[in-house]
Amino acid sequence: MIRACLVSMALAALWYAAPGDGAAARAITPVALAVPQAFSVDFDTQIVPILTRSGCNAGACHGAAAGRGGFHLSLFGGDPAQDHDSIVNELEGRRVNPLKPIESLLIAKPSERIKHRGGYRIEKQSPAEELLAQWIAAGAPRAKSPPKLTFFEVTPAMRVVEEFKDGQASVPLVARAGFDGRPPRDVTAWTLFVSADPMAVEIEDEPARAIVRRRGQHILIARFMNRVVPIRLIAPFGQAAVDHSRQPRANFIDDHILDQLSMLRLDVSARAGDAAFFRRVHLDLIGRLPEKRALQSFLGDSALDKRAKLVDRLLASEEFVEFWTFKLANLLGNRPMPNDSQSAAAFHGWLAAELRQRRPLDQIARQMITALGDTRTVGPAYFTRLSGDARAQAERFSQAFMGVRMQCANCHNHPLDRWTQDDYHGLAAIFAKLERGPVVKLAPRGAVTNPRTSEPALPRLPALRMLDAEGDHRQALADWLTAPENSHFARSLANRLWQSMFGRGLVDPVDDLRSTNPGTHPELLDRLAADLVARGYDARRTLRLIALSETYNRSSTPTPTNRVDDLFYSHFPTRPLQTQVLADAWSDVTGVADRYGQEPPGTRAIALIHAAIPSVSLDILGRCSRQDSCQEDGTGDGGGLAGLLHRLNGPFLNERLASPDGRLGKLIRQGRSVDDILEEFYLTALGRKQDDAERAFWRSQASGVADGQRAAWLEDAIWALLNSREFTTNH
Amino acid sequence: MPYLGMQPHPSSMTRRDSLRLGGLTAFGLGLGDWFNLRTRAAAPPVKARACILIWLDGGPSHLETFDPKPDAPQEVRGPFAAIPTSVPGIHLAEVLPNTAKIMDKIAIVRSITSPLGEHGLANHYLLTGYKPTAALQYPSFGSVVAHHQPRGVMPAYVALPDIKQLPAAGSGFMGRAMQPFAINGDPAKGDFRVRDLEFSPQVPEDRIRRRQGFLSQLDRFHRAADEAAAPVDGAFEQAFRLVTSPKAKQAFDLSQETPETRARYGPRTIGQSCLLARRLVEAGAAFVTINNTGWDTHADLSLRLKDGYAGAKVGVGLVPSFDMAFAALVGDLRDRGLLDQTLVIAMGEFGRTPKLNTSRGRDHWPRVFSAAFAGGGIGGGQVIGASDRVGESPAARPVTPSDLAATIYTLLGVDPKSELTTPDGRPIRINQDGTLVRELLA
Repeated sequence: MIRACLVSMALAALWYAAPGDGAAARAITPVALAVPQAFSVDFDTQIVPILTRSGCNAGACHGAAAGRGGFHLSLFGGDPAQDHDSIVNELEGRRVNPLKPIESLLIAKPSERIKHRGGYRIEKQSPAEELLAQWIAAGAPRAKSPPKLTFFEVTPAMRVVEEFKDGQASVPLVARAGFDGRPPRDVTAWTLFVSADPMAVEIEDEPARAIVRRRGQHILIARFMNRVVPIRLIAPFGQAAVDHSRQPRANFIDDHILDQLSMLRLDVSARAGDAAFFRRVHLDLIGRLPEKRALQSFLGDSALDKRAKLVDRLLASEEFVEFWTFKLANLLGNRPMPNDSQSAAAFHGWLAAELRQRRPLDQIARQMITALGDTRTVGPAYFTRLSGDARAQAERFSQAFMGVRMQCANCHNHPLDRWTQDDYHGLAAIFAKLERGPVVKLAPRGAVTNPRTSEPALPRLPALRMLDAEGDHRQALADWLTAPENSHFARSLANRLWQSMFGRGLVDPVDDLRSTNPGTHPELLDRLAADLVARGYDARRTLRLIALSETYNRSSTPTPTNRVDDLFYSHFPTRPLQTQVLADAWSDVTGVADRYGQEPPGTRAIALIHAAIPSVSLDILGRCSRQDSCQEDGTGDGGGLAGLLHRLNGPFLNERLASPDGRLGKLIRQGRSVDDILEEFYLTALGRKQDDAERAFWRSQASGVADGQRAAWLEDAIWALLNSREFTTNH
Repeated sequence: MPYLGMQPHPSSMTRRDSLRLGGLTAFGLGLGDWFNLRTRAAAPPVKARACILIWLDGGPSHLETFDPKPDAPQEVRGPFAAIPTSVPGIHLAEVLPNTAKIMDKIAIVRSITSPLGEHGLANHYLLTGYKPTAALQYPSFGSVVAHHQPRGVMPAYVALPDIKQLPAAGSGFMGRAMQPFAINGDPAKGDFRVRDLEFSPQVPEDRIRRRQGFLSQLDRFHRAADEAAAPVDGAFEQAFRLVTSPKAKQAFDLSQETPETRARYGPRTIGQSCLLARRLVEAGAAFVTINNTGWDTHADLSLRLKDGYAGAKVGVGLVPSFDMAFAALVGDLRDRGLLDQTLVIAMGEFGRTPKLNTSRGRDHWPRVFSAAFAGGGIGGGQVIGASDRVGESPAARPVTPSDLAATIYTLLGVDPKSELTTPDGRPIRINQDGTLVRELLA
């Protein structure tokens, strides 16, 4: 009950974009829509769309799980049969009065002939009201086999908006629907258009149109019956056309990115220098700062393909295995159970071994889905134990492997996607046949209840087909998930790989892929996904493709005109280092490792199997404890002011900087000059040499420091280096 | 007694402020005029300089606190009786005896109404005044108010103990610099102190100042390549200001209070947090959120809200602990002459179902619920709005969370119609469609 429905903020927007909120806040007004008198009105295809269009069945009104004012409708008309029953049979039939249709509550309330808490929704004498009245007069029937929606299209699906006048542009919207294969007709008046960002784009009526008030890319959602379709509007940032045809392109990624930038009229930043690229690609691929010696030989290398060779070397390294095991462990929520830390270690080790032997991602997923056995020895079987019950496993499965938030479909059909309650509980029913003890085994009698039917849910492949009530269907599920024609798996993986290189997904958030959240570059994501499948689900090959694209190689310094862009990759996005990566970087540069619980000295933060292991620093700096899946690749707020105070006054950095066994202590003991020592730290921490201005600054600061004070002075200088924006971000 | 004169840092005006000042000066207005603009003729005079928000996380039952229904049927009435207060005609639940005694200082809004009955969504609505949207994470009151403060040595926005499970109380699109300072500790613990506030013995103040100089120079170098870049956020600057001010650091030290004062607030976390909050606003903090958890009482109302543990002789549950803390805070602020300048708010994200459930608890109920206000220019001794006979819907004067937001901002001298700017440069009104609840003002 408390668990109810964890609706994400992202969903909430559109879900609750209910009457009263900008887009939907409009009573249906008379429009020139001829309603033939002899036409028999169909409940599913004509009445339900009116209820949706008028906001009656939105989440904030009668579409709420508990209804409103004693009247409950299925969310956005997802269940017409139930809605028909509520309207016609409940309340002694007072909602419909065939003798006096206008006095039916279904009409009298929303037209405010009598008091309606939900306000004025349907205008008197409007076509909507007339349709409702006709339908009621005809006895409020529901066809045994209602017409099937076979076609739905909205124009434009995508449009570059050029014609700004007085700071706004208007885009007409048209929706057409076809039933039972018949020619489509205009259903614009019965289609609900919602703007994802009402301050950027507003929906107006008569005729239906989008008023664009801001530059950039905007998403609208059109809803008709059970279809939700996105509309993309792109308003260019710049005035003058931008020609990217001569920009260098390494592969298809650059084509997509540059095409989009041309459309948005954004120019691109220069190519990043070798040192900047070197540091960037180390942090993204292996989660570590580059080593000084490797940097020097890279900078000295004049080979044209040296960036490619570097990427290949990193992808083949053991550090890559360690870092990506950490990422997978975060995604899958690996953590020890009370009194059993062995199983989490086995799972961690198994993930690392799979990555090490370059096992294709589909096969890694298949093993987790189908494994049985003692989790202390059979690593992949632990995936099942990481979810407390079948429903939780269904949610984790869809979130981790499909990038889909299936939670919503627990209580009602997903309001913004195709997933139904039957899908959700059918998926859970597959996992219900597992016993999640220390030994994961089949439990043939296991079941979950589908709240829609109050009966045991039938196992089901999501949005595809029902399976036998009996038997173990995990193999079929794994086949379905990884089949080439099922794009969910590949798109979600490709999106996460992209996110790990740029800090955000092509669709963001990365666990919320759905047609109504198309993201910034949907075509590129499709192409990357297809490429991933074609390359046999080899993550390294996709990462290589990304790392060698000109897009990834771009400088993070914006141009005066592309500064406004933080979504379209006109310059490389600067982002804070993830807490664990930063913690390791501090350890590496100071030369003194942090201690985590009872783990052996020198254990890296990203290598921790127990993500919530006692560590004051990780607590203060902010970390994901893997209770749930950790979706964010970035950081929180770095612990905010408390984190900064810890870095300033706590032992966290101070003790390590002052340690005689640390990098600084050793350099001082070797009698190295201040200049030399600073140069060493610039190379290890920032992956570059000092420039002249910096060298001059430090020299002027160092002059006059007494010999006895030199160590403290150096500690302060290095402290500043280790807290600078340049050090604490990837850029 | 005035606020301990914590001076704004010399270079402390926000960039926004200086731009605005620049603009005003260009039109011949002086500084004094600008400050006077804060209280424009049309707007009511602003008394509050700070706000303490006691956030009752999980959704406190309105029926067991500020909106008892003694005449309702048993399954609605619940386990507690109603008691009279110092204001004739106003009744509170019997578990609020201390609050009842100072009812003349308190205003209760009994007709807050919202459609959002899920914690995360409702938190966002109640703490920001905006319904959640996919497009933007809005900043909480605390962050917006902090943004309007001249930068001082005290963190403008403090969270006790933290908002890890309450992201809606954070800064939203305003970014790290406006996140609250989370003290990450329990003020009721004997050895409580805020971690890392004092200098490490090896790194005294002169070295801290040297580090500050080095760091700001390094960030300037890094930015040099990108000349038009926005200045780096001032988060570290705040840290430096705080640790180099002994006076500010003392504000976090509860051991400076007498045992009598500490006892007055009660020994539990909420009490000592209220006491700490009072010290912080005295020292110049503009907004303190006390995140008091546990109010999601789906079962055993009596145990959770009153007793605290099975067989308790004296109730130490959520409501008695709150009652003692809230009454002590309001009383202490009044004794110190600070009540007028300090707005105190007690509320949560929604109320609870009118009918008891089968576990003797109540479930989520956003359609009507209550909040309590004291100080900061509100008129005490009144009830605004009403719920119906069974506490199910507003019966009079419905107030939306957005209205509340507009009112809170107005009381704190922030014009709800003014705008904030998102990182990508779009203007966002501080409050979208709220109307001032004028009756609340004195």
